[in-house]
Amino acid sequence: MQHLLRGRRSRLLVAALLSAAAIVLPLWGMTLVSTQYPEGLRLVVYPSYIRGDVSEINALNHYIGMTPISDDFFGELRLLPASLALIAVACGAAAFVRHVWMDLLPLGLMTGLAGFGAWSMHHRLYQFGHDLDPTAPIRITPFTPPMLGTNQIAQFATYAYFSWGTFLTLAAGALVVLVLVDDLRGSRPAPRLRVAPAPA
Amino acid sequence: MHRTTTWLAVVVVAGIAGCSTKPQAPGQRAMATGDVQQAALASYIKPGDLDTYYLFYSGGHSGQVFVAGVPSMRHIATIPVFAPYPGTGYGFDEESRKLLGDFTWGDLHHPALSKTDGDYDGRWLFVNDNANNRIARIDLHDLKTKQILGPIPNTMGNHGSSMVINNTEYALVATRFSVPLGSQYAPLEEYATKFKGAVTGIKVDPKDGTMSIGWQIMTPPFNWDLGATGKGGSDGWAFWTSYNSERATGKLESASAQRDRDYVAVVNWKAAEQAAKAGKTFEVGGGRMIDPAKTAGVMWLLPCGKSPHGVDVDPSGEYVICSGKLQPTSTVFSFKKIQEAISRQDFTGNEDGIPVIKYESAMLMEVPVGLGPLHTQFDGKGYAYTSLYVESAITKWKLPPYAAGTDPKSVVVDKIPVQFNVGHLVTAEGDTRHPQGTYLVAMNKMSKGRHLNVGPSIPESSQLIDISGGKMKMIYEAYTEPEPHFAQLVRREILKPIEFYPKEENKDPNAIWAPKDARVIRNAATHTVEGRIYAIRSYFEPGRVQVQEGDTVVLHVTNAEQQRDEIHGFGIVALNKNVVIDPGETKTLKFIARKSGVYPYYCTNFCSALHQEMQGYLEVVPAGQALAMYRNGEGQMLPAPAHDLAARH
Repeated sequence: MQHLLRGRRSRLLVAALLSAAAIVLPLWGMTLVSTQYPEGLRLVVYPSYIRGDVSEINALNHYIGMTPISDDFFGELRLLPASLALIAVACGAAAFVRHVWMDLLPLGLMTGLAGFGAWSMHHRLYQFGHDLDPTAPIRITPFTPPMLGTNQIAQFATYAYFSWGTFLTLAAGALVVLVLVDDLRGSRPAPRLRVAPAPA
Repeated sequence: MHRTTTWLAVVVVAGIAGCSTKPQAPGQRAMATGDVQQAALASYIKPGDLDTYYLFYSGGHSGQVFVAGVPSMRHIATIPVFAPYPGTGYGFDEESRKLLGDFTWGDLHHPALSKTDGDYDGRWLFVNDNANNRIARIDLHDLKTKQILGPIPNTMGNHGSSMVINNTEYALVATRFSVPLGSQYAPLEEYATKFKGAVTGIKVDPKDGTMSIGWQIMTPPFNWDLGATGKGGSDGWAFWTSYNSERATGKLESASAQRDRDYVAVVNWKAAEQAAKAGKTFEVGGGRMIDPAKTAGVMWLLPCGKSPHGVDVDPSGEYVICSGKLQPTSTVFSFKKIQEAISRQDFTGNEDGIPVIKYESAMLMEVPVGLGPLHTQFDGKGYAYTSLYVESAITKWKLPPYAAGTDPKSVVVDKIPVQFNVGHLVTAEGDTRHPQGTYLVAMNKMSKGRHLNVGPSIPESSQLIDISGGKMKMIYEAYTEPEPHFAQLVRREILKPIEFYPKEENKDPNAIWAPKDARVIRNAATHTVEGRIYAIRSYFEPGRVQVQEGDTVVLHVTNAEQQRDEIHGFGIVALNKNVVIDPGETKTLKFIARKSGVYPYYCTNFCSALHQEMQGYLEVVPAGQALAMYRNGEGQMLPAPAHDLAARH
């Protein structure tokens, strides 16, 4: 493992692999616990869909007039898998083309995705907590569910957390940063732009 | 037991038994303090914890099955089978109405779990109807009645049922009352000759459990009582007890007790199956009947103590135990000896051409169990437990093998009084090849005020007895509605019921999962209104259904919940309609809107904080008055949407 993370190419290939793996792994989740739901209700966001007790959470949320959660509602979910795939390809390409710009490309994509993801999450959470049907049976003060950590909404204690898909993407980013630092230091001076032979 | 047995012997044994157990006054508790503490711990299940056994006990003439947990004896659920049950909407929706047909009650006596290799496999529960000649199958996937088969031909009172064979090939049926074949008429004067009994094998589809009439065997006009199936060495065989071998009519309590012996039918069901396959049958009343006088090798008769109820086969399959209610002994027969007697043709005569096996040749021992022995079960540790109706006790006794010259009295090892008049008993998995030897439930026919006084119409009592040690210990008692006969006691891990119906598995073409798909369409030409109603916390969509007076109304209600315990009801006020829909289920309600008016409908099964608000209106518009509807593109009449929930969700 350590050996894998030492070489430039292997670092970038691992980063490509991690980004690709993130496509099918959960990014973020929320667990709601109350007396009636001691086992908790789960909402798990994957790059292309939402899983967990969605229908039950919607059934409960409609009392406070929240918009029902569905895959279709989130346009972001259509972009995420492609973005992660693009990052994986960029990492893979950089593995075979040693150039600072080739390091900066996946890093830029990652930073962009992370920034957009964080903004979009916050925006969506805000939207869910504020865009409440005024005719709903229960009227509550608008709120923003936290992206991370615990919160209490009526009888529900909520726990929000990031998950494997996010961690792997961040790890991939860290690997690319290491590669970039090495390449900038020139510890192993970057040769002319050339296509590397196929790895043995 | 000898042929000279008389009531004198009964009285003598009664005297002995009377000395060994203290008489108990009703309501008196006989346990010492230490025992009480032990028993309390043995039956206590702390809130939130689960029992270790399911007890499925028959509801008798209530027509239902009760489910309780053991050791707590808490009643958990009622599974409606032969009678409507508004609590679950059974008998109100189209599917369950079809199951019930024109009958509104049944007399459910003997539940039997399906088996694989002689042990419970947790797939189905078969139950008989002594009243209307039916047999039903409950699917243990959701604990719902899935099929009611019947009336079974040539059967009047399906009592000796529904024992299940080792690999659930058949569920067994025997007619309690003998009548002329094919539902014909013959005067009672011709009872002995024109009336016939029948035992029947109900074929069970090994994949989905669907039952169909298999073979039938014609018998002399005895009254068939209870059955048991062979296992191990006796696999392929079945046994039924009979009473009234006198072929009497009139006052049977004495007329049927004149002979010293009645019979156990010994049936080679594999031979019966073969005979039916080979076409050695005649058609009568819709059944394929084998005449055992003409087809040898199918049925024999074995004398046993008079007026027997239970016949039971021990876990090894070698010992067949039969108890005559009017004699103080249980007779142990050896299956091997029965086989030898059959092959030697060691017969003492015949009944209508059916050979009668010589009693002494097949009998191993008469065990002096006590007064009024009724039914026997096993613990898998070499002991049998026999219920004593007259004596109000359970006897524990040792099964063979016995050393030569064993004193029959020494075989009885323990006896415990029960309150009162025990009928059947059930031990944990006691009719399988591997009984658990943990608990025994005595289902007593009389409770005689051991409970709070509830007036003259009182429940039965069921008592839980610990049989894990050498001595039986009374642990607990519970009261059940009328009236448990037999039961099945099965480890909880054998069953794997669902928690709700996953919507992917709902195959009802009228199921809907979004309020936008709810609609009510009226066909003006046929005066029919058909609607798909969506039910979820805490509203129905639509909240308004409009029909014309005289219309036939068909409403398919889907409970769109996917959460355990989110059950919704759909009751219509003043119209005697109530369906209860489990999460993920669709049920259909059909009726004619006879009288104009406004009939509210509401959720009958408490679902949520706004359950009370979960309601709508059925408008029955007077004939001739226009409906507030619009016509869609296809010329169908649709009611105006009641509110805009559909647009939002």
